[in-house]
Amino acid sequence: MKKTHIVLLILVAAAVTVIVSTWADFSTYETFASAAENQGDQYHVIGELAKDKEMVYDPVKDANHFSFYVTDKNGRVNKVVFNGAKPTDIEKSEQIVMTGYMQGETFHCSKIQMKCPSKYEDDQIAVANQG
Amino acid sequence: MDIQYIGEHLGPGQLGRFFVITSFVAALFSAFSYFRAAGTENRIGNASAAWLQMGRNGFVIHALTVMGIFVSLYYIITNHLFEYHYAWSHSDLSLSPKYLLSCFWEGQEGSFLLWSIWHCVLGLIVMFTAKGLESRVMTIIALVQVALATMLLGYYFGSDINIGSSPFILLREKMQNAPIFSQPNYLESVTDGNGLNILLQNYWMVIHPPVLFLGFSATLIPFAYTMAALWKGEYKSWIKPTWVWSLFAGGILGLGIMMGGAWAYESLTFGGYWAWDPVENASLVPWLTLVAGLHTLIIYKVTNRSFIATVILFTLTYGLIWYSTFLTRTGVLGDTSVHSFTGEGKSLYWHLLIVIFALLGIAIALMIKRWKGMPRVKTEEQVNSREFWMFIGAIILLLSAVQIIISTSIPVWAPLAKWITGKEIAPPVDPVSHYNSIQIWVAIVLALLSGFALYLKFVKSDNKKFWKRIALVSLIALGLSVLIAFTQKIETEQLKAPQYLVLLFASCFSVVAMIYYAISIQKAKLKKLGATTSHLGFALILLGVLLSSYNKNVISYNTLGVVIPFTDDKMENVRQSMENVILYKNVTMPMGEYNVTYIGDSTAPSDARTFYKVEYKKVDTATGEVKEEFVLKPNAFLNPKGESGMSANPDSKHYLGKDIFTYVTSVIDPSKREDTSLYKRHKVKIGDTIFVNRGYIIFSGFGAAEANSNYIAEKGDVAVTANLTLRDLEGNEEKLAPVYIIRDSHEEKIEDTLAARKLYVRLSRIIPDEKAAEFMIKQTGDDSDYIVMKAIVFPYINVLWLGIIVMVIGFFLSTWNRATKKEKVAKV
Repeated sequence: MKKTHIVLLILVAAAVTVIVSTWADFSTYETFASAAENQGDQYHVIGELAKDKEMVYDPVKDANHFSFYVTDKNGRVNKVVFNGAKPTDIEKSEQIVMTGYMQGETFHCSKIQMKCPSKYEDDQIAVANQG
Repeated sequence: MDIQYIGEHLGPGQLGRFFVITSFVAALFSAFSYFRAAGTENRIGNASAAWLQMGRNGFVIHALTVMGIFVSLYYIITNHLFEYHYAWSHSDLSLSPKYLLSCFWEGQEGSFLLWSIWHCVLGLIVMFTAKGLESRVMTIIALVQVALATMLLGYYFGSDINIGSSPFILLREKMQNAPIFSQPNYLESVTDGNGLNILLQNYWMVIHPPVLFLGFSATLIPFAYTMAALWKGEYKSWIKPTWVWSLFAGGILGLGIMMGGAWAYESLTFGGYWAWDPVENASLVPWLTLVAGLHTLIIYKVTNRSFIATVILFTLTYGLIWYSTFLTRTGVLGDTSVHSFTGEGKSLYWHLLIVIFALLGIAIALMIKRWKGMPRVKTEEQVNSREFWMFIGAIILLLSAVQIIISTSIPVWAPLAKWITGKEIAPPVDPVSHYNSIQIWVAIVLALLSGFALYLKFVKSDNKKFWKRIALVSLIALGLSVLIAFTQKIETEQLKAPQYLVLLFASCFSVVAMIYYAISIQKAKLKKLGATTSHLGFALILLGVLLSSYNKNVISYNTLGVVIPFTDDKMENVRQSMENVILYKNVTMPMGEYNVTYIGDSTAPSDARTFYKVEYKKVDTATGEVKEEFVLKPNAFLNPKGESGMSANPDSKHYLGKDIFTYVTSVIDPSKREDTSLYKRHKVKIGDTIFVNRGYIIFSGFGAAEANSNYIAEKGDVAVTANLTLRDLEGNEEKLAPVYIIRDSHEEKIEDTLAARKLYVRLSRIIPDEKAAEFMIKQTGDDSDYIVMKAIVFPYINVLWLGIIVMVIGFFLSTWNRATKKEKVAKV
């Protein structure tokens, strides 16, 4: 066997080990209920903003506290606390992906990603000057 | 019955559609002619020349019509013809002319068009320079152009299936069911477009996409040459052009990627230049494999080894370019990317998959066909040869690319994982640390390899000379890294993370090695310095990344004097959560070594943005002398396009040694600004401070109520006062003594005021257990106006930018050197 081949084998083996060992980094998508089973563990939860519930962001009191309610895929409505400023356009979002953990009955998230309705699907044309 | 619509300009669109179809047919014709030219080359000379001529003509016509598409679309956008869907959805009347070009890369059609234009330009250059390989190289290029042209065709079969999407589709065709189109005069109501995404309204977004797309396009050429060489079965003449083109592609693509980083840094608010976002990764990965291929090509040229690796790497690079388009354009990334690309339907998904598999199919078929005759070397390479270590470097680059693409593609393979394990795999909770923890080792190995490999000669080196030089370089590098570690405080607490120190040494080693090599061995002959310069740049990038991110420091903490240990994971969350700070107008807050004051906002009539003026002052604590003063103007689009919310852009103060990066995360709703301010509640402990307009109040403890002359003691009173000292920015001090009384089991308060400062202070509650008190403070003025902002210091980020510039210069030096060099027998 050539030296290059041996080195190659070692490198590939090392790479496979590294990739497998970082497997644990990958998170999973959960619901509020399944995330609540493992309190404190970080998960991704997908849901929709519960628009009829209150949203609280008062920077005068705490600039890093934003709380709102989300309906997850199973229809459970849960309180969510985000440690940060209120994301812009959250009212317009049609889907929210949150990264965080359950603590008691509250979901604490450190990251929010929103999917907003795309302009392509939105058949609303800004109609102006029509009588 | 057909409606006769009023006021539409159908001419440019029809012309555009004509160009689209012609460009498709011309590319097909060119590809076929070139294919025939290649097939008849050795047998029928005359016929081959005729086919070649037709192939050339076809490609020139194709290039002209692609320009025609561009001009038609440009005309539609500049003339604001909103009857066209593209103009309506990507531009509006208020768009400033310098951003008109940006409309091209906001949409999918425009992006493919831009890509196609660059292929045409590069294809024309190749046509004139490829000589004996022209017919084959151009067949591949023309075939890719056919694939790109189909992206713009826009043929619809029913409502769900379409081949490509046309940029010339009319608004009423796109939205057939909207009731508005039943009126012939609908255009009178469509007065303005939807406008360009405000994130794209930035000068970086004017120059970054064309450069990035040029880089993407340039990777086609090494691929096409490699395919041509396999096809012809002749493996010498392709080396030089492939070398030159892959150097060019590496330089441009690297520049494009880092311009994207600069854009992110300058105008996005995630606070950095690289976030391991899928879209960034998707463009980085082909660059890694391209650079790996470039290195194996050099090995092949000098030693005849690594031919197969080179073919695989260039094929992989071009496949990955299309795969990155697949990731970013089809919406398959969905929730994982901050880049707001929309899914453009299942048709594009399959369309791109077909192109990728067709390209890979061609490459694999050719490889199988030529497998036996491929150049191979039976003997083993020496461990002290340059090619041995270069090859290892190339493999490391490839493995790094594999790791990044596996993690980035999670949404692609998650369904499979779900089928096997039943779990829905999501991206890492903290992607940055996920990638960093692995890629830092890649960076270390690459820095070390690139540092010493140059000191080795191809085939066999003089060991003694090598070790002598490396020992000297290591010694200097060690000295340099110790110096940096101490001055920059890169100490890594308790050696928990030694990789940072190792990376520091590795990048210093590479920097010193390159400079030493360039001066003492290459005698600083500019034309020969390409490789040393680009490797020096790479090492500087690593050093810059280390310095700027290791000591990246958020100075806008919400707490005063609370020290939170850095290493505890749980606390990390808490720390992050305090990075936003509220700044009342004219109330100074200390941040790091600065006193920061929000002094007001401003708008300009021609600009949709609101600028927030934030004043930074560095004051010598002993003398009170202002040592440094500047105003940053982070800005934001408020309620863009009638939507609620804001979109913020940062502003930075650039120093040679550091950047101060500031952006607004939230502002007061202008409609909610109050004229008269209310009392605000402050709960503080003894020794704490409360910030007010132009100064702060120190709460030094409780005292006897008699300190306040308004207090008239009565029998049975329990009265206490808080000793407050107001210190203003000029250093003046004034005392305040609000009183809290319990009289006849009722509580009463005596307010203290500083009339000149319009400051009213009430002691509202005493919390003996916590040695704290609650104050109600009112200060009339404009303190009801506030912003919430974040400020970050990036030290030595200029080392990073310098590294990128040096690296790109290195690539171009090499390109120039290779392109102008006369072919000679490989020097051994």
